[in-house]
Amino acid sequence: MPGRVKTFRKDLLAYLLIVVLFPFLLSDDYYHSVGVIVGLHAIVAIGLGLVMGLAGQISLGQAGFWGIGAYTSAVLSAKYGISPVLGILAGAIVPGIVAFFVARAIAGLQGYYLAMATLAFGYIVQIGITEWESVTGGANGMISIPSLDVFGIGTSEVSMYYLVWGVVTLVLLFSLNIMNSRVGRAYRAIHKSEIAATSMGIHVAHFKLGAFVASGMFAGISGALYAHYMGILDPQPFGLHESIKFLTMVVIGGMSSIWGALIGAVIINAISEVLLVLSEHFPWLKGDIDTIVFGAILVAIIMFMPEGLVPRLRSWAKKPKSSVRAANRSEKAEMETVA
Amino acid sequence: MTEFFQYIVNGFVVGGVYAIVAVGFVTIYNVSRVINLAQGEFLMLGSMLTVSFISMQVPYGVAMLLAILMVTGLGILMQKYVVGVARQATPLSLIILTIGVSILIRGIASQIWGKDSYSLEPLTGNEPLAIGGVSIARQSVWIVLSVLVILIFLWYLMEKTMIGKKIKACSVNPLAARLMGVSPPRMTMLAFAISAATGALAGIVIAPLSVTSYDAGILLGIKGFSAAIFGGLGSPIGATVAGLLLGLMESLGAGLISSGVKDAIAFLVLIAVLLIRPTGLFGERNVGKGGL
Repeated sequence: MPGRVKTFRKDLLAYLLIVVLFPFLLSDDYYHSVGVIVGLHAIVAIGLGLVMGLAGQISLGQAGFWGIGAYTSAVLSAKYGISPVLGILAGAIVPGIVAFFVARAIAGLQGYYLAMATLAFGYIVQIGITEWESVTGGANGMISIPSLDVFGIGTSEVSMYYLVWGVVTLVLLFSLNIMNSRVGRAYRAIHKSEIAATSMGIHVAHFKLGAFVASGMFAGISGALYAHYMGILDPQPFGLHESIKFLTMVVIGGMSSIWGALIGAVIINAISEVLLVLSEHFPWLKGDIDTIVFGAILVAIIMFMPEGLVPRLRSWAKKPKSSVRAANRSEKAEMETVA
Repeated sequence: MTEFFQYIVNGFVVGGVYAIVAVGFVTIYNVSRVINLAQGEFLMLGSMLTVSFISMQVPYGVAMLLAILMVTGLGILMQKYVVGVARQATPLSLIILTIGVSILIRGIASQIWGKDSYSLEPLTGNEPLAIGGVSIARQSVWIVLSVLVILIFLWYLMEKTMIGKKIKACSVNPLAARLMGVSPPRMTMLAFAISAATGALAGIVIAPLSVTSYDAGILLGIKGFSAAIFGGLGSPIGATVAGLLLGLMESLGAGLISSGVKDAIAFLVLIAVLLIRPTGLFGERNVGKGGL
């Protein structure tokens, strides 16, 4: 256990250093805006990571919660003049409530059923946003959504960057703490075997519901921040394509690792940016290059590295000193922490 | 009143296509407990390949045949090199895997054909048949015929042939089937081939009624899956009936409520069925909630 806490701290220190220094190292508005988007995606991915990694469930409708959050805050502030701060609060609560009812409704579902139910949910949200024209502006979208502007925060790229990564850090700490707490151990037990977990007195449905609601709220906060950051919204980014992008982030980083979701968000956005540049230089890349890449990543990771990048890198980093005895020891330590 | 009948006819025609997709899902699921979420892509590829072959001056019938053969080959490859390799994967991984394959195919299709929509000529002429004020596109007759042929073929294959018995044996107990000399992986491959071929044909016959494009597969796939769940995952008859019902509901919903909600209907049906009766119309009890 002490070892785990120490690495946990080391990870966090390195993370904070990179996050704080990034705007100085790359002091260009382009990089700052990429940083903002990465942060917003990371918030959603960490939430999805909780659902997939801890509860062992899948959600293919995460962009739906993202969209609900974005439109809740946008409509409240642009149409009813409510302060964006309160709007963001509502942008967290409304998707949380929706996630609660969705989770309650589909609590008994697993595997394909859950995948399709969440996928259908995502589609219904997108169709709902498109069809509810009087409120959301329909396919044409909304314009002039007020920017955040709390003591000047949210008006410049850098201040938005720090705000977003502040939220990322909170979400990250929350999730890491959950992972390493009694609750987290319960989740891991559920992931391994629901029946065994139930027989140990763990209220499985209760925990799954919690993970789902938290992921909905995270996605909602991110969506609300996105709305105020962009200033305009249309239904297009809240569909299956984006949900699969979130899924790819979690899968590439490692489904059972919170850090994995964060790293995944960085990797996927880096790939997207590179592809964007490439498609400008090579006009024959006319279609959805990113779709090919994400599809290939999903297939390759599941086939060759199902645990994902971060756990794999960790085990490589530990390899040099690991003999069979060390492996046994770590296994023993693992068992002790679980006990 | 004529309008109402028109909706019903249209609903049955589209529903027939959903039924084929649904039966494709069920065929693979029954043998291997895998849901191939790339099923919709088979339809898209069937129609897009046919469009391409026809533009190369290949006669219609040959173009169809070539397209179906190529998609069938792809289905076999997918089973052999992707799904089959990851046999030990957890259900969660299998879902991600087939989704990955599906968007990979879609992305490649967008490279080959771009983002344009293509239309496919109807098999026989454009002027619709009129029966008592209800107009029926000639293509609809072809769709209904293809659906019937496919369903009868599948029924015959499953119920009357040795291959059908082997497939059923694998779905009941793969280990026992293996002991009796049946190879479950080979039967799974056969199931992939069958569902790819029928999917491709379904994609080809529906294309003249709507347009086709690189992203046409996803919606058809999801609706087919909705039908498969609605009918009770695992039951071919259930899938057929549910496919037709779904088409009917969609057509009536689009006609009587609004065309914007058309696509939402399938999803609402899916969620409603999952909530009220997860085993579907004809499902076995134990398939139900976590039956995966």
